[in-house]
Amino acid sequence: MKESNFYSDDFEQLIREKTEQYKMYPSEKVWKGVHGSLHTKRKWFIGSMALLVGGILFFAGRELIAPSAHPVLATKGLAASDSGAALSRLALPSATHRHPALAALHAPNNTTPAARHYNGSDDATGEDDSQSPKGITISLNHLVISQPDLSEFLSHAVALPDHAPALPVIAARIAVSSAAGTPDAVAARLTHSSSDSEQRGMTGETTDEMDGVNSQSVLESLSGRAAQARYNHQGRDLAHIKGGGPSLAKGRLVDSSSSASKASAAAIAESEDRARINWLHDYALYTLAVSQRQPRTYLQLTLSPTVNYRSLSGGDYGLSKFNGPNVLEHPGDVQRYVDHSPALGFQVGGSILYRVTRNLSIKGGLQFNFSRYMIKAYTTNDAQPAIITLSSYYGYVMDSLTSLTRMGNFGGRTQVSFSNDYYQLSAPIGFELRVLGNERLQFNIGATIQPSYLLNTNSYMLSSDYQNYLKAPRLFRRWNINGGVEAFMTYKLDGVRLQAGPEFRYQLLSTYNSQYPLTENLKGYGFKLGIVKELP
Amino acid sequence: MTEEAILQGCLKNESAAQRELYNRYSPKMLAVCYRFAHNREDAEDMLQEGFIKVFSQMHTFQNKGAFEGWIRRIIVHTCINNLKKNKRFNESLDIVHAHGIQVREESVPSIVQAKQVVECIRLLPIGYRTVLNLYAIEGYSHREIADMLDIEESTSRSQYTRAKQMLEDILIKKKILPKPREKSEWLVAIR
Repeated sequence: MKESNFYSDDFEQLIREKTEQYKMYPSEKVWKGVHGSLHTKRKWFIGSMALLVGGILFFAGRELIAPSAHPVLATKGLAASDSGAALSRLALPSATHRHPALAALHAPNNTTPAARHYNGSDDATGEDDSQSPKGITISLNHLVISQPDLSEFLSHAVALPDHAPALPVIAARIAVSSAAGTPDAVAARLTHSSSDSEQRGMTGETTDEMDGVNSQSVLESLSGRAAQARYNHQGRDLAHIKGGGPSLAKGRLVDSSSSASKASAAAIAESEDRARINWLHDYALYTLAVSQRQPRTYLQLTLSPTVNYRSLSGGDYGLSKFNGPNVLEHPGDVQRYVDHSPALGFQVGGSILYRVTRNLSIKGGLQFNFSRYMIKAYTTNDAQPAIITLSSYYGYVMDSLTSLTRMGNFGGRTQVSFSNDYYQLSAPIGFELRVLGNERLQFNIGATIQPSYLLNTNSYMLSSDYQNYLKAPRLFRRWNINGGVEAFMTYKLDGVRLQAGPEFRYQLLSTYNSQYPLTENLKGYGFKLGIVKELP
Repeated sequence: MTEEAILQGCLKNESAAQRELYNRYSPKMLAVCYRFAHNREDAEDMLQEGFIKVFSQMHTFQNKGAFEGWIRRIIVHTCINNLKKNKRFNESLDIVHAHGIQVREESVPSIVQAKQVVECIRLLPIGYRTVLNLYAIEGYSHREIADMLDIEESTSRSQYTRAKQMLEDILIKKKILPKPREKSEWLVAIR
């Protein structure tokens, strides 16, 4: 790079020397700009967290302020397509073979007879549905009925019989219903009905007292009155063809048909309702999914970004207990002599929750904790001896630990920032209690006690005269106990529960063992993000 | 922290190591930027951009030369790139600015200070100043300067010759350098 004659010129050499001596100190904003550009992940992290928390608060607020409408009345498009598919599966192959209840569902006034029945209005009463809007109605224009919703609705709308019909009976009924429209079936049923009528006529029974099966068969052809007329017409023909006492048969059939035609509209409606009840019973028994028992065990995974700091106390060397030669310089609260600040950490873990009651769950699991705080200190040119005065278990026998360090607390060549990092493995055991909310949105509180093991640390500790920072790994306490409290919102979404809320963790025992005169208790303020899924 | 520890820390993207490196080299590098820039604010912008490049390209440093020299090259290139974005700078490289520099003559010779020399350099037109900075202070050859500034090598030489002459005049007027007949004595005296 340099040209060979560069230093040959005294002028150039002079300029070079003088400019090399010149230094300028940049403003702090330059470093902030550099640091901000280099650590963009932190910005992303903060932004993402803000977005997540904002989203949760938005949904939580929306649910609290304006809870979702009754599930039966929900009119979301997605659900509508689902229910449409469900209904199409329920429908019989042919339009003429529709089940009476389904046929009723497709009635032009878009209101089910069951719903009308539930509302207290009925066709028989002649009341207009629009005049009795209270109660549950199902809008078929925007129909949304999931299976659980429908079962719930049906349980309200219709009082089901105490005893379910036996399976063969239902199967036979379905077969009859399916084949009801064929001429042979009609003929067979009419023949059976005719002979039955003959027997009843001979025994003096009236057709008004016919059992429900016949009228039900007629109703299953979806048109009571039309079927009744067809029944009369075909019955007459059949009686004539059979020829066995045509006048008698004719007379009896006419009697029977006339008796049927005299059946009141109320009786037909009652038969219709009975048919619907049977269908509902069958549907509830054999089509609806059996509701499962509420599970009791859940898997919980959590991640919590935390802001960590510490409580530092003790080491008041003004007391006679620690009257060592190098400890009298800085009496009083140690906090006054250090420049520490909080730093970001995190904890991640998994737990098994066991639901004891509807509102209370106990849990136990494993958790990894990374906590740290920042220290501002000064590097020195030369390593200096730093002494930690150790106390015995009895408080009066003194020992000391000496180490060489370049880290000064009060002054030095260059100011530096470094962090005291702690890596812990904990086994939190505790509970979660639902305080407010419904199945979808809840507010919970919880607490844990966490036996912890210190996996690793690179932490510095203060010398006894507070002049230096040094490392003394043997003074750290490996086993410790932490306590945690939390409050969080829970939102149920597609089979899982999302949890989010603040938490606080405090280390109950000092970071150092009892030989070190200072006491440090770590604490972390976190925001818990969790997901809970039921275990099979 | 040793330089090796700082390097390792910077490679791990540790804030403390990055701050240490910044604290150690930013004063010198800001002075470099200041010699190229129009004002202090521009110099700080160049410094910021340069240090971002330093930290983001730390893995490319191969321990073959001095670490400071490596940082300095990045900073200088950053300054040049910034200057080249300025249209006035590009024009100034081809225009002779030998006249019109008004320098107040000092009545009393002052002690030669680094700051005075730097301020005198900053009195030069931007084109002259850049070539002088690159050649006389940063040690680049005219060929390298020509490549960096997209000019002919001969242009770089002529610009430097004129810049040097102008700076000498300024320094003499400022009594920082003696008049030609006293030059050798002053050069001995100020060292």
